[in-house]
Amino acid sequence: MRNTYLRLMQLVTGILIAVLLAIHIVIMHLNAILGFFGVDVTEPTSWESMIGRASQAIWVGLYIALLAVVLYHALNGLRGIILELTPSARTKRIATWVIIAFGIIAFIGGSYVPLALLIS
Amino acid sequence: MTEDSIKQITLKVQRYNPEQDSTPHFQEFLVPVSRGTTVLEGLLYIKENLDSTLTFRTSCRMAICGSCGMLINNYPHLACHTQIEEFHSDTLTIKPLPNLPILKDLVTDLIPFFNTHKSIKPYTIRHETEEMENPTAEFTQTPQELETFLQFTYCVKCGICISACPTSASDKLFLGPQALAQCYRYCADNRDEGWQERFLLVDTDHGVWHCHLAGACSEACPKGLDPALAIQLLKRRLTSQAIGLRKKQQSSPVASPITETKAKVPFPEFTAKES
Repeated sequence: MRNTYLRLMQLVTGILIAVLLAIHIVIMHLNAILGFFGVDVTEPTSWESMIGRASQAIWVGLYIALLAVVLYHALNGLRGIILELTPSARTKRIATWVIIAFGIIAFIGGSYVPLALLIS
Repeated sequence: MTEDSIKQITLKVQRYNPEQDSTPHFQEFLVPVSRGTTVLEGLLYIKENLDSTLTFRTSCRMAICGSCGMLINNYPHLACHTQIEEFHSDTLTIKPLPNLPILKDLVTDLIPFFNTHKSIKPYTIRHETEEMENPTAEFTQTPQELETFLQFTYCVKCGICISACPTSASDKLFLGPQALAQCYRYCADNRDEGWQERFLLVDTDHGVWHCHLAGACSEACPKGLDPALAIQLLKRRLTSQAIGLRKKQQSSPVASPITETKAKVPFPEFTAKES
């Protein structure tokens, strides 16, 4: 049932991306609408505002979670496309390991900055 | 049929003889067409009157055998089930089904297709070996249970769904809509107990999860089946099984032996022949 679990995760991460990305978009770009509802988010894209969010564990967790689900969703989808277009056992082995390695490196690189800011 | 109702149309047929040609080419034939003339009748006219070397498969002429699948005006059809006047055109282009190797002219090699069909074990599997080897009676099934998979039993294995499927075009190892639909057909059959074996066969990198749900198979199927639906239902079964939410399907019991037989109703008088 390995492929079923992989595809189930693809569906779950797709839903999570929609939720987490919606939070990100609303906070970063729709602050005028939030203001209409009485939520004061001033200058969300300013440096001070970003540093302020990076010092809160909930925001750091949210962005790391977004990074993880986007990486899984994108790279698993890319693996599926590669396997479909070049169906061979060798391609499958190489594509799988390259994608896993790339995913781990991208996750470490992407989560290092917010974690470092949070700890400092 | 009056002479006025017969008109000439051009059939542009793809020809390919692997012993002579390096690549396929087209040959045009003028064919007389009247109301109701099928593409297959057009091809038979060519074979009988114009060029006897034209090669194509045909058998039943009534969309039952699934032999005459071909690409007519770039859409897969059964030639016997497609009337020429449906296209409202003076020229028809006829090619062999795509996504299958060409043997000659309009004949494709269906052996890989049938092998894929066989690979998903398209037969009833039961754990009671004794009953399978020496059956005593049939396995019971209600009409409602039959209804869950009935449409998929009408597959004529023509290969049209495979030729319409975009995933089969890009992934040569993809099981294809026909085999996957037949996998669902047997898994949904309450007389069958082989779903675990079949789940392992379709839960692969080129199995059920590679279906993109384009729906081209369902649209093209000449028997009106919905293989895309079967694939989605198969995905649901796999997912339910993976997360432990699948309801256990009760296997149908062997029918109890008949103890009493009713007296046969005699034939009515009017059916008896006079000597």
